[in-house]
Amino acid sequence: KPETAAVLKRTVEALMERGAVVRNLENLGEKSLPYKISKHKERHRRGGYFLIDLEGPPSIVSAMMDHLGRDVDVIRRAFVKHPVSKTEECSGIIPVNHEDKLMGKK
Amino acid sequence: MAARALVEGRQWRSLVPAVLWERPRRLQHQREPGRSDQPIQMENPYKEPPKRCVLCGINVDYKNVQLLSQFVSPYTGCIYGRHITGLCNKKQKEISKAIKRAHVLGFMPVMFKNPAFLTDPKICNIKYPE
Repeated sequence: KPETAAVLKRTVEALMERGAVVRNLENLGEKSLPYKISKHKERHRRGGYFLIDLEGPPSIVSAMMDHLGRDVDVIRRAFVKHPVSKTEECSGIIPVNHEDKLMGKK
Repeated sequence: MAARALVEGRQWRSLVPAVLWERPRRLQHQREPGRSDQPIQMENPYKEPPKRCVLCGINVDYKNVQLLSQFVSPYTGCIYGRHITGLCNKKQKEISKAIKRAHVLGFMPVMFKNPAFLTDPKICNIKYPE
């Protein structure tokens, strides 16, 4: 457990060094991985999932991927865009007339 | 009008167009002045609201593996097509993108369905051969 804390501290410090603002850090729990992942000459079966909410310049991405790749304790790293939930405009299935579509595009 | 009534009705109707033939005053129905007989143009009042798919209004996230596993085969782990899930275009695309992302990031197993989610309610209309 102190090791995970140390890893998180390292990553957050590296992020702040490159000029990113960390908004939130979520722990998604420690579970057994869905498949065995081999990384850094070791086969891993269990892992802790963490999600860091951050804001920063896009030039950080490649630098951080390098940095995390060199970290032995990090099994898999990824940067994901912040999801903007926009599902209130779903209007349902509009029936498409395939015949018209086919004949009209000549 | 009296003169027309004298001659046989059938003969007159063949010669005179129906528009000019006057209906006797007691058979004429009451009509407001200035309103035509034509049907009023309006939208179909019996139109049904458009059909919604199962996920209409639900936010799809790569993190809730349980929702994503409902659209995956328990035997092979492959994603069901649109004709099986019955989702609209947008949602099918979102689901498949989320499933692939979950595969890569190590949230969801690839070759099979997570055994904890095998007893979830069935959404897709798929029939397995017995």
